[in-house]
Amino acid sequence: MTPFRFWLPVLLLCLVQTLYGQTLPSFSSEWRFARYLADKDATDEAEFVLRHIDQNRLSTSQRDSLAYLTGWLAYGAKSLDSASQYLLRVSAASPFYVKSQYFGAYCLAFDHHRDSALAVMQHLPAPDSTLTELKAFQQAGLALLQRQYPRYDSLRQQFSYASYALSAEEERLDAYRRGLATEKRRSPVLAGMLSAMVPGLGKVYAGKPKQGIAAFLPVLTLGLLTWEGYRKDGPTSLRFLGFGSLFTVFYAGNIWGSTVAVKVRRDEFNRGYDNKILFDMHIPLRNLLNR
Amino acid sequence: MTTRFCLICTFLCGICSIGKGQVTAGDSLFASGQYVASRVAYERALFGTTEPDAVFSASVGKARCLKQQGLYASAVTFLNGQLQSNLPDSLLYRLRHEQILSAYLAGQFENTLSLVERLPYLHPDASPAPMLLAIRVLALNELQRWPTADTAYHELAALVTADSTLPNPYRALPRLKSEKKAQWLSTFIPGAGQLYAGRPGEAVVSVLVQSAGLYFGITSFINGYYLSAWGVGAGLFGSFHAGGIRRAEVLVRQRNQQRANAFNAQLRERVIGLIK
Repeated sequence: MTPFRFWLPVLLLCLVQTLYGQTLPSFSSEWRFARYLADKDATDEAEFVLRHIDQNRLSTSQRDSLAYLTGWLAYGAKSLDSASQYLLRVSAASPFYVKSQYFGAYCLAFDHHRDSALAVMQHLPAPDSTLTELKAFQQAGLALLQRQYPRYDSLRQQFSYASYALSAEEERLDAYRRGLATEKRRSPVLAGMLSAMVPGLGKVYAGKPKQGIAAFLPVLTLGLLTWEGYRKDGPTSLRFLGFGSLFTVFYAGNIWGSTVAVKVRRDEFNRGYDNKILFDMHIPLRNLLNR
Repeated sequence: MTTRFCLICTFLCGICSIGKGQVTAGDSLFASGQYVASRVAYERALFGTTEPDAVFSASVGKARCLKQQGLYASAVTFLNGQLQSNLPDSLLYRLRHEQILSAYLAGQFENTLSLVERLPYLHPDASPAPMLLAIRVLALNELQRWPTADTAYHELAALVTADSTLPNPYRALPRLKSEKKAQWLSTFIPGAGQLYAGRPGEAVVSVLVQSAGLYFGITSFINGYYLSAWGVGAGLFGSFHAGGIRRAEVLVRQRNQQRANAFNAQLRERVIGLIK
């Protein structure tokens, strides 16, 4: 047999197998392709590829890899609810387990599922000293988000302030802790009472001085117009009744607005700190685990 | 030796046909309107091959899908990534061509101009394509840089037609009104800014509401209602006056945009007619 006659069928067989592989791709090739798409920010295409993988024929490790990548794509697309569901489905045997657990817990914390995040964070894997500190850092961040200061103070004992990936964020969390402690607890009832005495004063007390001035001026103007109507035309005049009604509506609305302003200001304060805490919780995750 | 050569050639042909096969699959999915599936097929070709023709066809194919879905900005970003690949100069030129078109369709007119102006430096040997000159004219029109667009239009006309008797569309530029002038007019003569913007109805309404405020203020003052004159009359007049000034500015801006759009639409037809 000549070498040509021997090698030609072998080569054709290889070629047919390669082409067949292209038409019926294996899980690993599809997964690598989806990961390549994810790296290229081709999220729609990557999701399309992952959606078309037949999950019934997958092994546990393949299911883990699929859940990880699906979750990671959802995380990239900021669908955090879906991201946490997929990432936390990854089993402990998977090489993506550590990353999935940390990011899954973070997604829960970001998505306001703080109790679920706490449950996951308590069991985060920490195979080395860096991850032990990261675990404590994430739990401490969550404690601040939940405004549980004694738990934060206890967890911050594990901060070393020496790790390159964590030291700056650890110091910032301490600063947020001090900032949150200085928050003045303002009373909506007191704000309402102040606005009843001097229109707009309740909003100044709530921490919104410009709104206070803006509320004071129309109430003052309507008050003066009502007084003028009363003085010149009497209590039964249309002028007095019209301006008086408008004054009453604005005056009562201003009192109610001042009580709401306290709550709005408190929400703004809390949201501002929550955003800062979540931002700082995210930085070490990306630096240490997004490899 | 000959046998080995034949075997290698056969194998390489087979490998290359994989990328081309995916491109063909992408083409048929595109033809059937399955754009996401088609994008995946093109990406599969890009993932599996480095063969320049297949890479180029897949890149253009995916950009075409994105354009078909109206994702023009995504097409610009995608093509930007593809321009990093080691394609021959001629294919890179065509990819850049595609990117410029996508940038124009995405409404990124400054980016379009920047990409067009970069082209002669990146491809000094390539002769100017009429399509690119046309896109430059259209982008300049959208940015209302009509004097530069006029020059570019004549360059295009000289390239595509020898007829020098073509009428110059830039002779009749749209007459745009000044927003500042409208503001000043409305400040000193209520309603005049609206009239200048070509909206007599709004001018009448503006005059009426300002007069009503002023009338109420004056009569209240004459009758001794000084607080009402200040709080209601002056307040209403001041509010409507300030509102009238802002409204006049907005109306002039809207009118200018309408005129510019109408002029650009007419020019677009001419430019497309030139390169057809």
